[in-house]
Amino acid sequence: MNENRNWKKSLGAIADAFAQPLVAVVISLFLGAVVIVICGENVFTAYGAMIRGAFGNSFYINDTLKRATPIIMGGLAVCIAWRSGYEAMGGEGQMILGAFCAALVAYYLPLPGILRILLAMLVAVVVGALYSALTGWLYEKFDVTFIISTLMLNYIANYFASYMTNFVVKDPESLDINAVQTGKIAAEARIPAIFSGSVHWGFVYALIAVVLVYFLFKKTSFGYKSRMNGLNSRFALYGGINARRMLYVVLILSGAMAGLGGAFEALGSKYRYIDQMIFTTGFAWSGMVAALLANFNPIGTAVASILLAGLSTGGSAMQRSTIIPVEVCNMIEGIITLLMSVRLLRIAQKNHRVRKTAKEG
Amino acid sequence: MTISIEYLAQVFNSTIRCMTPILLVTLCASVCSKVKVFNIALEGTLLTSAFFAYLTQYFTHNIVLSVAVAMLIAMLMTFIMSFFIVQLKGQPMIVGMALNTFALGFTTFLLSMIFGTKGTISDPSVKGLPKINLPVIRDIPVVSTMFSTLTIIDYAAFALAVVLFIIMYKTVVGFRLRAIGINESAASSLGINVKRYQIIATTLSGSMIGLAGCLLSLGSVTLFIQNISSARGYVALAANNLANAHPLGALLSSALFGFTKALAQVLQNTAIKQQLLECIPYIATIAAMAIYNGIAKRRAKAIKN
Amino acid sequence: MIFEMKNIVKMYDSVCANDDVSLHLNRGEILAIVGENGAGKSTIMKILYGLVKPTSGEIFVNGKKVHFRTPSDAMAAGIGMVQQHFMLFESMTVAENIVFKNEIHKGPFMDMNKTIETVQALSDKYQLKIDPRAKIADCPVGLRQRVEILKILYQNAEIIIFDEPSAVLTPLEVDALLETMKQLAAAGKSIVIITHKLQEVMAVSDRVYVMRQGKVVAERMTCDTDQEELAFLMVGRQIVNRHIDPIEATTTLLEAKGLKYYEDGREVLKGIDIHVNAGEIVGIAGVSGNGQSELISCITGLLPVTGGQVLIQGKDVTNKSVREIRDAGLAHISEDRYVWGSAPEGTLEENTLMCRQDEEPFSKKGLVNHRKIREYARSLIQDFAVKASSPTQKMRELSGGNAQKLIVAREMSLNTPVLICCEPTRGIDIGAMEAIHDRMVKRRGEGAGILLVSSELTEIMSLSDRIYVIYEGRINGEFKRDSMDDKRLGLLMLGGSIDNE
Repeated sequence: MNENRNWKKSLGAIADAFAQPLVAVVISLFLGAVVIVICGENVFTAYGAMIRGAFGNSFYINDTLKRATPIIMGGLAVCIAWRSGYEAMGGEGQMILGAFCAALVAYYLPLPGILRILLAMLVAVVVGALYSALTGWLYEKFDVTFIISTLMLNYIANYFASYMTNFVVKDPESLDINAVQTGKIAAEARIPAIFSGSVHWGFVYALIAVVLVYFLFKKTSFGYKSRMNGLNSRFALYGGINARRMLYVVLILSGAMAGLGGAFEALGSKYRYIDQMIFTTGFAWSGMVAALLANFNPIGTAVASILLAGLSTGGSAMQRSTIIPVEVCNMIEGIITLLMSVRLLRIAQKNHRVRKTAKEG
Repeated sequence: MTISIEYLAQVFNSTIRCMTPILLVTLCASVCSKVKVFNIALEGTLLTSAFFAYLTQYFTHNIVLSVAVAMLIAMLMTFIMSFFIVQLKGQPMIVGMALNTFALGFTTFLLSMIFGTKGTISDPSVKGLPKINLPVIRDIPVVSTMFSTLTIIDYAAFALAVVLFIIMYKTVVGFRLRAIGINESAASSLGINVKRYQIIATTLSGSMIGLAGCLLSLGSVTLFIQNISSARGYVALAANNLANAHPLGALLSSALFGFTKALAQVLQNTAIKQQLLECIPYIATIAAMAIYNGIAKRRAKAIKN
Repeated sequence: MIFEMKNIVKMYDSVCANDDVSLHLNRGEILAIVGENGAGKSTIMKILYGLVKPTSGEIFVNGKKVHFRTPSDAMAAGIGMVQQHFMLFESMTVAENIVFKNEIHKGPFMDMNKTIETVQALSDKYQLKIDPRAKIADCPVGLRQRVEILKILYQNAEIIIFDEPSAVLTPLEVDALLETMKQLAAAGKSIVIITHKLQEVMAVSDRVYVMRQGKVVAERMTCDTDQEELAFLMVGRQIVNRHIDPIEATTTLLEAKGLKYYEDGREVLKGIDIHVNAGEIVGIAGVSGNGQSELISCITGLLPVTGGQVLIQGKDVTNKSVREIRDAGLAHISEDRYVWGSAPEGTLEENTLMCRQDEEPFSKKGLVNHRKIREYARSLIQDFAVKASSPTQKMRELSGGNAQKLIVAREMSLNTPVLICCEPTRGIDIGAMEAIHDRMVKRRGEGAGILLVSSELTEIMSLSDRIYVIYEGRINGEFKRDSMDDKRLGLLMLGGSIDNE
């Protein structure tokens, strides 16, 4: 009977986990609809174009999945860090450097194709991890909070990559003088498509990463330790968990994910680093929203990432067929996040009530 | 490049113009942190108010109205922020990031819908804030450079820092606000409506971000660029941290960041490339925080006897 | 009759905290409400003070029916409360704290001179000595309580409620407080004191209500009763005094030599020498804030030691990591169960696993075995009689006493030679308290060395083989079990010395 009640309870928990994101998404889409109406467009035409543009045929679906790949990786980066109690937002900077370095390695290194791909991904992982570890060092040694260090380092990474692309490693063969980008990676050093015309293997790798992170969280003692650290870092310290090692391991893992996400984008989608290509697309931020929507569950993050990628590709399609600019999607994303922030409200309230009863009852 | 007194005066002038927007945002941040509302929506608020300042001026050519609209928009954004954090107990970090994401999307959306561009909008017919030419000062050679092309809001920023200091440390309202920040439950146990104080104080302080927004789009230059705030909101967060949420300390810390931004501008004609110069304020922010906290940490370890 | 409560019922979800409680207070009277933790006495006062709304029942002040929605309503009706946890603004001055909400002002500005004058006058009137200009952060606990009382007097309260007022005070400070209460009553104020300390009830009150399980079970005039009767009424049975056989202690398990700790340039620990032998419970008595927390944190590796040595079973563990110190043979029940001792949002099995996550059979090569972990959690829950529905329940869903039992279960099951218990029974009911004490004595019998830190003198006195008194970061005296007496202990806790006596 006890087991039966547990089963019901967990079913309730699952319903709970889905209810909030669903409500958030519906309200945001409704507000988006209001904007569309104000702009003088038909809601159904606009949203119809959006859905078709996201999932309407295999071309669009592949486009969405391609976009989802770095978002998933950015989302995993956030899952790992935030679940362990470090509210780091440096995914963008790490992704930029990962993409940039991977593009250079794959373009310049005279190695056989497969080695070049592997090496490029490895370099992206290392660079992302180190850049993330830097924020950990600033936090540990100098108490520089993550919010300040990560956001500042995002800007620094973007300007640095921009400088390099403009003046040091600009594509020598480019015909367009205004195109600020590195040289195009040779075909054998690109992450190939799964089959002709489809999304590249990076998407599959990202899904493998999702499974690995899920496994790490659920089945390993590291997963236990990091979760305890996230739930109550003092408790973790008191229980003998090495806080310093936890900080660096978590940030390095998180940075590695983001860096690899950048590499997937550069090697599998754009075949080069283009100035501002990560900064303007907001992959890392979408990843963060996805992780929040899924409450830092890796599998949920992957699903949410695909939906958010769909929102974006669909938004571009909507922009082509209506007068609504794609930025409407950023607004929707913002509103979803805002509504999701209140989730913790209910936990906090419940918490408060239970404590109170416990104390006085 | 020769360094003359005139040149230094220019650096001074440019520091002032770079620092005042940061100062105003820092002042808002200081009020928010005094009443324990962690506001990282500063960035999005600044961006949105800068846009609406320009938009209103573009259509009405009424500078007073433009400033008022910018202040109102900033107060509205700050109100939403504090309502979600204080009343609905939303997670501050997420609330702030959500509003920043929304603000970037929203301003770009309007930019595109109204002006048909997603980059820069600059119209010669739009007049910025009037520049103040102080009667005596304008005749003194170096000093006139130091204080040239400043607007009334630049001067107001300094005055506001002092006014805010007096409000927070000398008046009854300020006393209560500080007390709330020190011990929320003690204040509410005496029947103070803590949430109301927090929401009203933060919302009112948001108006200062509105002024900062006017400086960005109608100040030294009259134009709006996508993401014109470029992390000033976050820099202000750091500045507030360095100032220990003290309004007068904010003068010093925002001057520091203003100077690094001015430095980046001054060095523009040298061999150093623009992209690297742009990094200076961000690196300076991290460095300043690290040095400040590093010293504080060391001091805590040292023994006073 | 200045106020009256009739048939008050308060339900929390399905738990009944107050069941048909009726009581009254006369003008100029000192009324005591006694009961165990969880008997519902705090709830009844929170209802009176407007912090909690009753499910049903009526309240009358001066014969008029009132409805308190917030504490301000209660204050406006002349009721003030000195809370157990002081509600003060640490970095502000005494005067500022007292006038908060009814500030003395000139236009919009604070009038600090007049504020200080007024506060000084108030302090003189009631003979409650304070320095209006001092910062609260620099005031000892006794003074802080005085500030709380002045705060209420400043608001012209007629009824003053004291909630467990002596919990944080030294014996001498308690005497002063009781004197203050009598003065206030003589000055026409009506006083309610909520406590479980019967000596104080006998010393100061005129009349007593005894509460048990949410009900008023008895009303007595103080002069017609005695401590034994009240204790019997409170618990509902006779309390047995714990008898502990003395053990010949020889091997030293835990030792601190010249332990120093600095914080913010202040010397918090000034060279502490203590040791704990096998089969011994060693108590540390002291007014809270005299370095107890820091001492324990230094020993357990949560704070860096500035000077001196910590030895566990002869092994030097000074400034080693928490992991290494625990592996050297130490377990630690921390002073705050939700801040340090557990993850309230985690499940019970996650909370019981802590410290053993890298041990077989719970994990092998970094992979955890969920089945074993659950079995272990179940066995702890059963062994220590923790009231819980399942190991996957969240920690915060347990009551305080059960949460504490679970933490005690976890730390004791580590079977370490050294066990540190900080405030092991703070804020929990008598049943859970006795269970935890039994366990401690059992571990002592098995040869463990136990270091006990508690702000409850009675707890220390009844359990310890030896007691150290800590004052301002120094050990100010040491007692053996047979030479203890609470007057001398109290003197040492305040920094006095026995030789000067």
